[in-house]
Amino acid sequence: MAVPHFLTGPEELEVSGAKIIASLKIGSFTLNFTETIVLEWIVIAVILGLAAFLTRGLRVKAVSKRQVIAEMAVEAITNLVRDTMGARWLWFTPYVATVFCFSIFGSLISLLGLKAVTSDFSVLLTWAAVTFVIITATKIKYGGIGGYLKGFADPIPVMLPINILSEVATPTAMALRHFGNIAGGGIIMALVYYGLANVSRMIGLDVPIFTVGIPAVLSLYFDLFSDFMQAFIFIMLMMVFISNAGPADDAAEGTS
Amino acid sequence: MGFLSIDTGTILFTLLNTLILFLGLKHFLFKPVQKILSERQAAVDRTLQDAEDARTRAEAAETEYQEKLTAAQEESAEIVRRATRTAQQRSEEIIAGAKADAANIRQQNEDELRRERRRAQIELRSEVAGLAVSVAEKVVEREINPADHARLIDEFIESVGDAE
Repeated sequence: MAVPHFLTGPEELEVSGAKIIASLKIGSFTLNFTETIVLEWIVIAVILGLAAFLTRGLRVKAVSKRQVIAEMAVEAITNLVRDTMGARWLWFTPYVATVFCFSIFGSLISLLGLKAVTSDFSVLLTWAAVTFVIITATKIKYGGIGGYLKGFADPIPVMLPINILSEVATPTAMALRHFGNIAGGGIIMALVYYGLANVSRMIGLDVPIFTVGIPAVLSLYFDLFSDFMQAFIFIMLMMVFISNAGPADDAAEGTS
Repeated sequence: MGFLSIDTGTILFTLLNTLILFLGLKHFLFKPVQKILSERQAAVDRTLQDAEDARTRAEAAETEYQEKLTAAQEESAEIVRRATRTAQQRSEEIIAGAKADAANIRQQNEDELRRERRRAQIELRSEVAGLAVSVAEKVVEREINPADHARLIDEFIESVGDAE
């Protein structure tokens, strides 16, 4: 009996990064246009579509269910930022929401069989780099360039290499943690599908019936729970590191 | 591409995409929702302010009514006091009038009584005189000149009166 290829399940397992769709060579520099970017566009379209749908026909009184959800979401993320970073960082709320939504939806598209955006290390590195830039900018803003540079020799100059290392380690660890969890979860799920398909083949079934249902249980953790946790951890660390880069809230209110 | 590769293109595009999503979320979610939230806050503030105003007005009205009530009570007490005073004056006047009337009546009665007694005295005198004359006629058995008669009687009466 001939079974279509897409029904037979994976016959081999390949762990790789995003596929390159197009490449642009500028001298010795190569600009890659990868699968990840297209998936990002899909994610952005979904998030913005959802936002536009939820905020359609907003009213002050007699609010719709959609509006209640939109308001709850905005208030929840605003309160989270206020509680974690303090009131002077409230302008930062949309960026926190951006990373959170991007991370969650970017991870959850793996449920559709697509490659999770967050299993591309470059994506996490980008967000971590943005965090690093904001941390550095905050330190310079509140301490001056002198204060920022002096911070590396604190408490004693011997600490200089360690301080530089920890400065770089902060965003790197954030990026690697998120990437490792999502990509690792993806690999485990791929292994499960691969293994179950092989078990089906071993007992002579063309259609891998074992891959129905069983992976869903594992997917609850490796996709749903892990995706949400990693997004939450990432934005929490981002907020804590950035707000710690400035002085405590009371002191900042006094100087500004 | 490798599993853990760092790709400049992906980083640049992701940066751009993140910025797009940031601006999009700000425009499609945060701006409208925050606008609505602040409008609702303003409406709530307005309602509270209105309630506060109403309360202030009610308190002012209450104070005013209280003052009016106090004034009315004072006025009514004054009216009662005045009426009582007037009534007292009137009653005193009436009593005084009555007393005066009574005194007048008594005076008149006394005058009347005196006149009656006077008249009775006169009548008595003339009757006594007549009686004396007839007694004297009997005694004397003759007519006396009426003029002498009258004189004699008068003398008699005077003497009698003196004897009283």
